[in-house]
Amino acid sequence: MVFAMRSRSKNSAHFFINAATVAAELSEVLTEAKNISLEAMNAKALVARAGDNVRTFKPITDFMVELANDTILLVKEINREALVLSRTSLNELHSSDANIRFAKAQQKASTALYVETLDPMAREASNQHHQQAVQLKRHMRKLFELLDEIESRMLAANVVTATSRLEAATAADSYQASLEGIVVKLEKAANRIKHIATKCRRSLER
Amino acid sequence: MKVVKLHEGRSHEWLVFGRDEERPSKIIDTNQYMIKTTNHTIMLDPGGIELFSAMLAAVVHHVPVNQITHLFASHQDPDIISSLGLWDKTLPHAELYAPWLWEGFLRHFGCNSIRYNPLPDEGKSIRLDDIELQFIPAHYMHSSGNFSVYDPQAKILMSGDIGAALLPDGAPLFVEDFDAHVEKMRLFHQRWMPSNRAKKDWVRRVRQLDIEYMAPQHGAIFKGRDVQRFLDWLDELEVGTGIHQ
Repeated sequence: MVFAMRSRSKNSAHFFINAATVAAELSEVLTEAKNISLEAMNAKALVARAGDNVRTFKPITDFMVELANDTILLVKEINREALVLSRTSLNELHSSDANIRFAKAQQKASTALYVETLDPMAREASNQHHQQAVQLKRHMRKLFELLDEIESRMLAANVVTATSRLEAATAADSYQASLEGIVVKLEKAANRIKHIATKCRRSLER
Repeated sequence: MKVVKLHEGRSHEWLVFGRDEERPSKIIDTNQYMIKTTNHTIMLDPGGIELFSAMLAAVVHHVPVNQITHLFASHQDPDIISSLGLWDKTLPHAELYAPWLWEGFLRHFGCNSIRYNPLPDEGKSIRLDDIELQFIPAHYMHSSGNFSVYDPQAKILMSGDIGAALLPDGAPLFVEDFDAHVEKMRLFHQRWMPSNRAKKDWVRRVRQLDIEYMAPQHGAIFKGRDVQRFLDWLDELEVGTGIHQ
C-alpha cells in the first residue's frame, strides 16, 4: 500500500487527467446500475405474479433493488470525488510548480543584496505545496476506498447470482426461463461494473 | 539576465532586464522594465511565467521584494504578464495597472491578492513619490486594449510592442545602426499591428512628447534622434498586411 501510494503521488502530473477520465468512465457504471434496477423491478413483478411458486426468490429481488440503489448512490459519490480529485491534483501541480520556481529564484539570487526578502514567499510556496500534497493524498485514499466498496458489492452480487441460479432451477417450469434470464442480466451487469471499477483503479494507479 | 540602468535621477531610476541567457529556446526574448522611486517600485510588463525565476532573482539584486508595490501590463499577451499568478503570490499587496478591457482575461493567469486597477481607454496618470507616470493609449498597437508608459521627468517612453524587433540572441540592448535595424522591425510591425488609423493616432500622440529613450518590450532601445526616425518610419509604414487578396 505504501508503495502504491508513493507511485500514485509520483505521477500526480498526469493525475488530473486520469481522475477526469475516471469520472467519464463511471457514467457507464451508472447505466449498468440502472439496468440492475430495471431487472429488479421485472423480478419483483414476476415474483408477485408467481406467488408461492417462487416465494424463495423474493429476498433475492429485494437485494437486487437495494444493490441497484446503493450502486447508483455510490457511483454518484465516486463521480463527485473523482472531480474533486482532478481539481486537487491540478492545484497540487500548480503549487509544486510555484514551489520549484521560487526555489530556483532563491538559488539564482544567492549573491543578491536582498535575497533574504525572498524567504517568506518561498516558505509560503513550500507550505502551500505541502498542504496540497496532503489534500491530494486524502482525496486519493477516499476515491480508492469508494472503488473498493463498489468492487466488494459486485462480489456480493456474484454470490447472489449463484444462489439465484439454484433457486431458479427449483422453480416451476413456467417461471424458470424468466428467472434465469433475470439472473443472467444481473450477473452481466455486476461483472461489467466490476470490470469498469477495476479499470478506473488501474488508470488511477498508473 | 542582463540588467542595465537606463536612467538615474535624484528621485528615481529606470532599469531594464533582458537578454536572459538561460531563456528556454523557442521563447521570444523580452525586455522587462523597473522604475524605482524612494518608497515604491513598479515593474512594467514583468514577463512570462517561464522567465519568472530569472526575473525575481535579478530584481532582488536591486530592490527588496516587499518594496515592489506596483505592476503594469501594457496588454494581455503571455510574454507580457503570464507570470501574474506567481507575482500574485510574491506581492499580495501590490497593485496592477492594466487595460480595463483585459481584466476578465488577465485574471485567468491568477490575480487573487493583487489589486487590479483597470486603465480607462483614454489613459491615466499616476504618481509614485515624486514622479508622474502617464499611461498613453496605444489601442490596436497591437492589442485592442493597449497602453504605453511615459515618464516626463526621465523622458522615457516604454512603448510595449511598438518598436519591437526580432533579434538574434546576444544582440545589443540599444539600437546602434537604425537603417540596419529597420529590417528587423518591419515584419513585426506589418504583421502584428492591424490598423493604419490606430498607428497614426499613436504616432500623433507620441510626437507631442519629449522623448530621450523609447524602450520596447522586444528588441533594442531607441535613443536620441533614433526615436524621431522611428516615428517617421512607422508613420509611413503600411501595417495590417496579414490578409492576402
